[in-house]
Amino acid sequence: MNTIEEKLWNYIDGTCSEEERKAIDILIAQDEVYRRKYEELLALNQEFSKMELDEPPMAFTYNVMEAIRAEHAQQPLKASINKRIIKVISGFFIVSIALMLIMVISSVHTGGTANISVHLPDSLRLPDIKNYLSKPVLEGFLFFDIVLGLFLFDAWLRRKSVSKQV
Amino acid sequence: MQSKLSDIELIEQTLTGNQAAYADLVKRHQRFVFTLALRFAKNREDAEEIAQDCFIKAYRSLSAFQRQSKFSTWLYSIVYTTAMTFLRKKRVDTDSIDDENTYIQLENSSSSHDINSAENKSRSYYLNQAITQLMPDDAAIITLFYMGEQSLDEISKTLGIEANTVKVKLFRARQRLKEKLEHNLKHEVKELI
Repeated sequence: MNTIEEKLWNYIDGTCSEEERKAIDILIAQDEVYRRKYEELLALNQEFSKMELDEPPMAFTYNVMEAIRAEHAQQPLKASINKRIIKVISGFFIVSIALMLIMVISSVHTGGTANISVHLPDSLRLPDIKNYLSKPVLEGFLFFDIVLGLFLFDAWLRRKSVSKQV
Repeated sequence: MQSKLSDIELIEQTLTGNQAAYADLVKRHQRFVFTLALRFAKNREDAEEIAQDCFIKAYRSLSAFQRQSKFSTWLYSIVYTTAMTFLRKKRVDTDSIDDENTYIQLENSSSSHDINSAENKSRSYYLNQAITQLMPDDAAIITLFYMGEQSLDEISKTLGIEANTVKVKLFRARQRLKEKLEHNLKHEVKELI
């Protein structure tokens, strides 16, 4: 059961229910003991609210930033990955693949008269892809794709909700 | 001069590599973080170490900050866990200092020399003295509620306990603080007589 003090603190903090608040309003107005206790706690509450924060040393911010620099703590940040570098690398590969494709296409004879015959060495045995593409493998691959798709979709939704909050 | 940007904006800038933005964030929260650390450590050197450690930890995991709560709530939870770890470590290093009386002795021995007379002691001085005599948990909860302007729900997130438990703990902490304050004031009056 709540003591008078506990009820009054809840009343001061505004954490009691509407019914309790009304009941305490009446008690404060009519009961001298309640009124005095309320005034005492209210004064104490105001005093607590006026407490001042302690001041850290002057060089505190400098020391923190120095420690961060010293530890190379910026590495885990996503900011450390320069997007331009990634774009340049991916651009290089895209251009290379495109050039290779152009070269291959341009070297193909489209006249239809060419008789291309490819002779592979007898010792070379190419694997039969059909053997590897069995039903369980395909199902597993499909399942992995679905899980990956859901994971990426979830990540996208999270990013979207974060940007909304901002 | 402190930045007018919000905490979230400063975090965004920090994540794009702007360390000056994080320095602004440190400047904004350092007083409270230091005060909260002081509630646990009971001396300025240790409090500074804890507070510094907290800001470094927060920087390291800034990209993991979910923004579902205020940055301050998240930061204070780091302060709480760091301070608790610090206290545990210190208890191993030294003889038990978890006895409440020890805190009183520590406080009295460190502060008595710089106080000349009762005249220059304001009531806020006695209040600060009383809060340093509280157990770390009590002092932290009072600090979070009154100085950090944290709601009961936010304190529950910071300390990792139920909001109702916070309410009960806050009530008890306030009672103990009141007792300490009354005790200190009575003691001072006796000394004067």
